[in-house]
Amino acid sequence: MDETDLLGRIRKNPENFSELFGLYYKPIFGYIFRRTGSFDDTADIAADTFLKAFRHIQSFTYKGVAVKVWLYRIATNEVNLYFRHRHKTNSIFERLNIEEKSKFNSYFADDRNEIESELEKHKQFLLVLRELKSLPVKYQEVISLRYFEGKDNNEIVDILNINEGTLKSLLSRGLEKLRKKCNQF
Amino acid sequence: MENQNFEKKLRDMAKPEINQLKHADMLAKAIIDSKDRSVVSSWWLSVPVFIILMLLMKSIYMPGTTLITNIHELAAKEKYLSVIFFLISPALLIIVNAISIRKIHFLSGSPKSPGFLRYVWLNVLIILFSALILIIYSL
Repeated sequence: MDETDLLGRIRKNPENFSELFGLYYKPIFGYIFRRTGSFDDTADIAADTFLKAFRHIQSFTYKGVAVKVWLYRIATNEVNLYFRHRHKTNSIFERLNIEEKSKFNSYFADDRNEIESELEKHKQFLLVLRELKSLPVKYQEVISLRYFEGKDNNEIVDILNINEGTLKSLLSRGLEKLRKKCNQF
Repeated sequence: MENQNFEKKLRDMAKPEINQLKHADMLAKAIIDSKDRSVVSSWWLSVPVFIILMLLMKSIYMPGTTLITNIHELAAKEKYLSVIFFLISPALLIIVNAISIRKIHFLSGSPKSPGFLRYVWLNVLIILFSALILIIYSL
């Protein structure tokens, strides 16, 4: 799909944002979930990410970065804010006007059950995530993007807006720290 | 070597996957509908803007006065109020707008082109105007 074409259509008619949402909500949600390990916080952070993207899509220029990278950048920033404050103070779902709230809540509960049971099946991941979350955020983001999301150096450099030397040094030091913490398994 | 083994372990480790999100469509609609309710809360700008406009009008219509003399005249008459209007308010406006430009720059994908200015021209204008007031007051 041509992203510039999609951006043009969204600028003409904001309703077309649903196409971009459909393309990227799931991967971004997955990325946030694999960083926080909490369904409710992930849902809040992902909704905040897309709300910010929607409100700033008019000023987004494709020349700098690709849409996907841009969304990962916003999501990373939101996750970092979440780790700084340790919890979401105000759920975005209370601010959004969601029609048919009971239907939404029932879908939401189904999603929560499914994702939490999926997480339960990955005990080793949970142990690594617990240790990773005890590291400084700068290591968490590079390790998560590289080993949980499978991004290559170029993509990570773009998402975090850092240079390759910094990335390599963060990865090497972060990996060393995480390995020491995970020594027991 | 240890790090390489650990790297491989991390890479091969099974991770939780997101297969289906039933709430996604309804959330997308709620986000798109939010465009009609986003309000720029600039009402708090009205008081300093009103004072400055008053002083500007006075400078234009009162012969022999300028914005500089009017600000100094008010500063002499209203010591505490003038500190709020000509020192604290402009300083706060500069800080708030600088943070706002930084945030908009980030959320716009960190563009390097000067075209970005058209999204923050009001913030830039407020910063320049606030700086002007600060300079006049401190003269």
